[in-house]
Amino acid sequence: MLRDVTFGQYYPKNSFVHRMDARVKILLMILYIVTIFLVQTYSGYIATAFVLITTIVVARIPLKTVLKSVKAVIFLVLFTAILNILFYQGESTTVVFSWWIIKVTDGGLLFAMQMAFRLIFLVMGTSLLTFTTTPVELTDGIESLLSPLKLIRVPVHDIAVIMSITLRFIPILMEETDKIIMAQSSRGADFSSGGIIKRAKALLPVLIPLFISAFRRADELSLAMDSRCYGAPVKRTKHKVRRISVRDIIGSIFYLAYLAFIIVDNSLLLLLI
Amino acid sequence: MRTMSAIVIDNVTFGYDKKSGDVLKSVSLQIEEGEFVCVVGRNGSGKSTLAKTINGLLTPSEGSIKVFGVDTKEESTIFDVRKNVGMVFQNPDNQMVASIVEDDVAFGPENLGIPREEIKARIDWALKAVGMEEYRHGTPNKLSGGQKQRIAIAGVLALKPRVLVLDEATAMLDPRGRREVMDTVRELNKKENITVIHITHYMEECVGADRVVVVDGGEIVMQGRPEEVFSKRSELSTYQLGLPPVMALADMLRERGVEIGVVHKEDELVEELCRLL
Repeated sequence: MLRDVTFGQYYPKNSFVHRMDARVKILLMILYIVTIFLVQTYSGYIATAFVLITTIVVARIPLKTVLKSVKAVIFLVLFTAILNILFYQGESTTVVFSWWIIKVTDGGLLFAMQMAFRLIFLVMGTSLLTFTTTPVELTDGIESLLSPLKLIRVPVHDIAVIMSITLRFIPILMEETDKIIMAQSSRGADFSSGGIIKRAKALLPVLIPLFISAFRRADELSLAMDSRCYGAPVKRTKHKVRRISVRDIIGSIFYLAYLAFIIVDNSLLLLLI
Repeated sequence: MRTMSAIVIDNVTFGYDKKSGDVLKSVSLQIEEGEFVCVVGRNGSGKSTLAKTINGLLTPSEGSIKVFGVDTKEESTIFDVRKNVGMVFQNPDNQMVASIVEDDVAFGPENLGIPREEIKARIDWALKAVGMEEYRHGTPNKLSGGQKQRIAIAGVLALKPRVLVLDEATAMLDPRGRREVMDTVRELNKKENITVIHITHYMEECVGADRVVVVDGGEIVMQGRPEEVFSKRSELSTYQLGLPPVMALADMLRERGVEIGVVHKEDELVEELCRLL
């Protein structure tokens, strides 16, 4: 049951994007998010779509899989689009349709469409990071990116260990939940009928044993970590090294070019006005 | 240094809290380097508590424990003790910190700040020593209990300990997993001269050990070579311990008049029976 839920959404492939350094990918994703909010023109949207589709093709991930991640936020997209259409007039105020206090203008329609595309591009782009990077690489990358914070005494390494342990125990606790549910069902517990409140109450006998077990595991894990010299007063080392490759440089140039294009495009727009 | 015992437990008393009383009552035990010692006892006998005092996870309320001459009470040298005494626990899942085997094995040496090249060499060595080198880049989640426990041992070996304490490390495994783990540990003891202290309630795992220590009620009640301990069957039964199944079977056959010699292992029993046929 629960075990079938694949954790994370890593899409195993050995593509150019998959083999890029996780740190570079995280930074490029941030760059992409910022750039998307700068886009103002049609050519900007076309450029964004181009960048996105190129990345998807290079990553060798089926477009269908990427679109699935949009499905999760489709309600949000539609909701904001409808609100924008109904209540935002934009600069151009040619009324297309009006009823009671609602006035739909072509400016509003345009804005709503832009916003919807922006959200869809945003979700598709960011999901590419998790499609092409394993959770372990991600946490390693985050640790590495946060490491300058060590200077202001942020316990970056401890945070990394916490993330690593979380990843390690998610499948274990899922399996355990599964076992408890089966154990309780075999004693006649009913998890699938009744209203929301009844179902939530039925989960209580699952959550309590799960929590008890999680605490017991934490206790044992802390002993094991102590035994393996966690917290020794020396400077820790890392056995893995990540090097920036040509791949990462090419990827970065591509995304920086995209940012440059959007900025130039926007300033051209200003000049025209 | 050469003549120094690996572990000297001197009159150790320990209690978790005042109400429940002492779990260990003036225990004294000396273990030499390279020895394979099995500690057995029923549930609640204090055997697991004893194990946890050896690497300073618990500090005795009275008495002292010295690991290669270093007192476990001394906070400034506790990591020297833990570096030398590797500890493997019951549940393999609760001992691993990383989702990739080699990352988990590297955890200990990384904590000690060992240079990268050396860590790599240690991962190679440790995984090879437990026969799990092909799983290096895999995840422990999909392995069997015995395999996971071998990875846990590798994670401890990467610290290059001179003593390995197995705190009921076979208790949760199926017979095959137990055999895997025991074979691995015996080999480490023989080839790498690592001192092994194996806490267990499976009597058959004591066969082939250098010494068996029986703990009951927080005290050491019997001690000796496995054959010596096994020969005192009635005394063992007062501590709710039985003989290894093979020996128990041989005893039963003897009671029925089958003239069988002293056997400790399955193949010895088979040989004896074949001789009689």
